[in-house]
Amino acid sequence: MFPDKKGKFGIFGGRFVPETLIAPLEELEKGYKEIVKTKEFKEKLNNLLKEYAGRPTPLYFAENLSKYLGFKVYLKREDLAFTGAHKINNTIGQVLLAKMMGKKRIIAETGAGQHGVATATASALLNMECVVYMGEIDLERQKLNVYRMKLLGAKVVPVTSGSKTLKDAINEAMRDWITNFETTHYVIGSVVGPHPYPLIVRNFQSVIGKETKKQIIEKEKRLPDYLIACVGGGSNSIGLFYPFYKYKSVKFIGVEGGGQGLNTDKHSATLTKGEKGILHGSFSYVLQDNYGQIKITHSISAGLDYPGVGPEHAFYKETGRAEYFSVDDKTALKGFHILSELEGIIPALEPSHAIGYLIENKDRFKKDDIVVLCLSGRGDKDVLEVARIEGEL
Amino acid sequence: MTKIEKKFKELKNKKEKGLILYLTVGFPSIDKSIEIIKNCEKNGVDIIELGIPFSDPIADGPIIQHTSSEALKNGITTDTCFQIANELKNEIKIPYLFMTYYNPVYKYGIEKFVEKCVESGVSGLIIPDLPYEESFYIRKMLRNNDMNLIYFLTPYTKEERMKKILKKGNGFIYFVSLAGVTGPRESLNLNLIIESLKKIKKISDKPVALGFGISNKEQIKQIKSYVDGIIVGSSFLQKLIENEDEAIKLIKEFKEELSY
Repeated sequence: MFPDKKGKFGIFGGRFVPETLIAPLEELEKGYKEIVKTKEFKEKLNNLLKEYAGRPTPLYFAENLSKYLGFKVYLKREDLAFTGAHKINNTIGQVLLAKMMGKKRIIAETGAGQHGVATATASALLNMECVVYMGEIDLERQKLNVYRMKLLGAKVVPVTSGSKTLKDAINEAMRDWITNFETTHYVIGSVVGPHPYPLIVRNFQSVIGKETKKQIIEKEKRLPDYLIACVGGGSNSIGLFYPFYKYKSVKFIGVEGGGQGLNTDKHSATLTKGEKGILHGSFSYVLQDNYGQIKITHSISAGLDYPGVGPEHAFYKETGRAEYFSVDDKTALKGFHILSELEGIIPALEPSHAIGYLIENKDRFKKDDIVVLCLSGRGDKDVLEVARIEGEL
Repeated sequence: MTKIEKKFKELKNKKEKGLILYLTVGFPSIDKSIEIIKNCEKNGVDIIELGIPFSDPIADGPIIQHTSSEALKNGITTDTCFQIANELKNEIKIPYLFMTYYNPVYKYGIEKFVEKCVESGVSGLIIPDLPYEESFYIRKMLRNNDMNLIYFLTPYTKEERMKKILKKGNGFIYFVSLAGVTGPRESLNLNLIIESLKKIKKISDKPVALGFGISNKEQIKQIKSYVDGIIVGSSFLQKLIENEDEAIKLIKEFKEELSY
């Protein structure tokens, strides 16, 4: 199974980092492999996921949406996980792992602030010092989440280098880790980064797909025909897809942020429009210019606004295991409204892209098809921004 | 023998230690770059490391982040860097290498990149985010063209790995003095550094140059007997931002310390 010993998914992935980080990555790989299989870790994690994070999350049959679209749609309700998104699955796992490895300090990057909040939450719970790097521009856009992190006892460090957004926050967190790895664990928020991060984050997020499999069989007595999820770095989608990898009848659809359109420079459709390259320690698809400089991206949803993508997705694309499309800001907003009106569920702007895809492409699905959509987060964080865009405020 | 290897041999014969200087191509400007490099050669620099600016330099501290983003704003591309290297062929005698991250090399096309290096008289490459395991293809290609791929070691590199890297490493070994990014530090962990350098020298007699954190003569004095060269970047660039004469003075001072 992937990744292989070198952390490769086919040709993708690997460990493209400065020599100083090789030893800490090896330590993390070893620690992870030894600790996650212990009874102590498994019991603690399962208990926290259940009692603290509210798992399992429901697999909800969206009847009204299904009628509207003309085929059966189930929503995997990650928006009901504690802190309002799937991010908590990974941060509880990683912070617990760090604690058992003897680390004292947690660092993380954040774009919209969801991963930052989830990391600060897990750190507060497990009594670890927490520092979150956040681009200065994002800091301004997401003031509420900045304050949430502070309430949770985390220190938020503004990043003023480069484009002052998520990619630069990752750079800065990596620089901190290169300096402090002896005491510090870096909690990466998506299935990106050098090996073993794409493996670790996928495995912690796989709880999404494992629960889905059990739940859909209970409800429908069969596997779904399609799984669909949004892809920024790609953690909620891999978490849903991976446990179904070997069931070839289950098709995977990943939806990226099309921003203002793929014919502009303002999008974050890495798999659809990017090229192979190296970013943040991993070989994957990257949005870059002709000289390999990393591009500045745009998406209405901060969680998709990233010029890279997890190497496992690149592998799924290359081998045809999954299809990737992009949906622009406008269509995502349509998805946002339709789900709110039809089901009474205000989704985050990230999964609104996946909803938008279903609306725009409903003809590709048959009446008897069963589609599971990962509703990766709730929309509270986006309500103000949408109101502003639509001139309501 | 490559130009870099010859340089270290020559230094050894003179009983001198090498001064390797990093600067970002196109900082503060394209015209200035060549003039400064010539001036550095005159004032004792033995090898020049030409930095091709990259948008996301994760191994670099604030100073090189700044010079890199300024250079990119000045419109410097990989092709501009090749042009400057080409001009240097007739302007300086000391070896010059390129230092950049892997993505610009990969995107340019490894074969084409190496070909251009040959054309423009480049003596080797330093790619901090290209680990030993991924480097064989490019190392061989460089070797076949009399160039070196420079490998890194740190005080945290495990001994087994150290042996592998020292076996295949050529030109010189870039020893990273600390856990962290580039940039001047007031003090270095000398015990850790010296212990590690002794271990390296026991395994191999390949030239070793120490970089990261060097900010003053005193540090060089304490370390020089354990290494074959010192790499200076940020502390030079920091001075250069303020005053070119001061930057050259720093170089002169450092080389003096390395000469006896």
